[in-house]
Amino acid sequence: MIGYIIRRLLMMIVTLFAIITLTFFLMHAVPGGPFTSEKQVLPEIQAALDAKYHLNDPIWLQYFNYLKGIAVLDLGPSFKYPGLTVNEMIVEGLPVTMKTGVLALLCVVALGVPLGIVAALFRNKWPDTLVMVFATIGVAIPSYVVATVTLYIFALRLGWVPTFGLDDWRGFILPVLALSGFWLAFIARLSRSSLLETLNEDYMTTAKAKGLHPMQVLFKHGLRNSLIPIVTVLGPVVANLLTGSFVIEQIFALPGIGRHFVLSITNRDYTTIMGITIFYAAFLMVMIFIVDMIYLALDPRIKLGKASS
Amino acid sequence: MTITAAHTSEPILSVKNLSTSFFSDRGEVKAVRGVSFDVYPGEILGIVGESGSGKSITCMSVLRLLKANGRVLDGSAVFEGKDLTTLPSRQMRALRGNDISMIFQDPMTSLNPTLTVGEQIIETIRAHRQVSRADAAKRAIELFDLVKIPSPSKRLKSYPHEFSGGMRQRVMIAMALSCDPKLLVADEPTTALDVTIQRQVLQLLKELQSRLGMAVILITHDLGVIAEVTDRILVMYGGMVMETGRVADLFESPRHPYTQGLLKSIPDLSSGEHQRLSPIPGSPPDMLHPPAGCPFAPRCTHAMGICTEAVPQLYCAGDTPVLRAGQAARCWLHHADAPEVPEVNAREHEGAA
Repeated sequence: MIGYIIRRLLMMIVTLFAIITLTFFLMHAVPGGPFTSEKQVLPEIQAALDAKYHLNDPIWLQYFNYLKGIAVLDLGPSFKYPGLTVNEMIVEGLPVTMKTGVLALLCVVALGVPLGIVAALFRNKWPDTLVMVFATIGVAIPSYVVATVTLYIFALRLGWVPTFGLDDWRGFILPVLALSGFWLAFIARLSRSSLLETLNEDYMTTAKAKGLHPMQVLFKHGLRNSLIPIVTVLGPVVANLLTGSFVIEQIFALPGIGRHFVLSITNRDYTTIMGITIFYAAFLMVMIFIVDMIYLALDPRIKLGKASS
Repeated sequence: MTITAAHTSEPILSVKNLSTSFFSDRGEVKAVRGVSFDVYPGEILGIVGESGSGKSITCMSVLRLLKANGRVLDGSAVFEGKDLTTLPSRQMRALRGNDISMIFQDPMTSLNPTLTVGEQIIETIRAHRQVSRADAAKRAIELFDLVKIPSPSKRLKSYPHEFSGGMRQRVMIAMALSCDPKLLVADEPTTALDVTIQRQVLQLLKELQSRLGMAVILITHDLGVIAEVTDRILVMYGGMVMETGRVADLFESPRHPYTQGLLKSIPDLSSGEHQRLSPIPGSPPDMLHPPAGCPFAPRCTHAMGICTEAVPQLYCAGDTPVLRAGQAARCWLHHADAPEVPEVNAREHEGAA
């Protein structure tokens, strides 16, 4: 068990290293740089800027210097926001993103799974139809449409919630709704089909034939087995929600990290691109690792380290 | 109907005129059409039939374990004075796994893969008995011993995938026996197993049955299994009982063309001669549109005009002299006006086999 975890962590470091290297060289291969813009900058100033940020150094030297920084978890200064380091940007933006992300995740799990269960148990009856209609709408409508339409109706027209900012709890409602909508619908559909499949299994008939209480049959025998595919998608969902969404953060003017990622690319803000990519990648890998650990707890047939040994 | 002189006691389960249908988009599938039979304490009743003959559905109807689109339309199943078809679900639950328990065909899929086998037995015991987990575990170890699973206390903590097929079926049997059932329904318990393992499991079942004195309904399509362990047989076809009687009587003197066809399709290895197997030509009826007459008529070599028009009654021992005590056959050839077909309705039928 411990050996397996150590092996996984080492593999994560190797993967992360590959991501860093690829991103670094791809990024530098794209024409232009952080200080090329429409405005004409005096050549001396350009040279001074390049010198300050070591952009004149050979690329391999820049790369090794960057790796040195990573080794001590220093993601470097932002090229676009003087005086701000990438570490600071993440530390500042992450709590905002996390708060909405965790709330959205709670919605997805606490509503999506039970809705799916209800739909499965009332298969082809009205609760199922109702859930599936909303789930189909939820999957079909993009989050920015949900965001703008709800913003227009509830903030602008009705004035029930603020149009931007997270100053009180009402400010969270629309961003969380827009953020969780798709995944909520997706998880509800997945839970439904997964539970329906499990309910048809022979061991469910066995459980009933043993005279167990229907609740025990459903929760102890049914739910656990139908959770396996849900947990599989939940890993990437968690990473997706907790790292924020550029569109949603832009529409609701939330100071999260999601928008930094997109803006940094158009800005050619090298260190920010690198920093946030590494952060996302690491986060996603940790989530997938956690999912694999949950698998172990859910399904005893999964054996540790078989694939890697 | 199948009143057997040999049985002096009351039947433990008495099924009367049971009819079950499944409702699908394509229509009503009449899986069981008026099945009646009795099971007496301490006997092994075999139910034989091809797939789709309604043998499993009959038992699933009795235990009320049908899938959501299946419904018992008519009939009763009286177990110890209680009609199971109308029993409140709470009382039904108290019976299942306790007084009546069941073993399924495929031990690979019938055990929950995510729970230890011990847990699956313990929860069964605790669903019906007010005992602590520790006591239930002790009982589970006894049961493993009973079904001859080696090192029982260790194996209790194993998961189903850590057992072989035969061992898993032993786990299923242990689970079914955990609350000392009065009736055990075994639905093709050896079909999914290797031939060598089949024998062991069958022997075990037979041994446990005589030791514990419970009644057993053994559903199978394997006449070899029937001959080896059962006391009485029910031959089913097209959702109906075609013939019933004591095993020896049905093997010696089958009085229904279908039963005769089944017996002819068993290879006889003891004779030493090269014999061709004679399978029954044709295929089972489509239960979405069951034939109006005898379901076997389209495949029957003796079929007459009436056979395709009306379903014959189940003729009993008293109706015609060829049927032995406890034997009954659903065939028009046993009607008083039927023409003589030596192997079916003639009193002496030396040349039949």
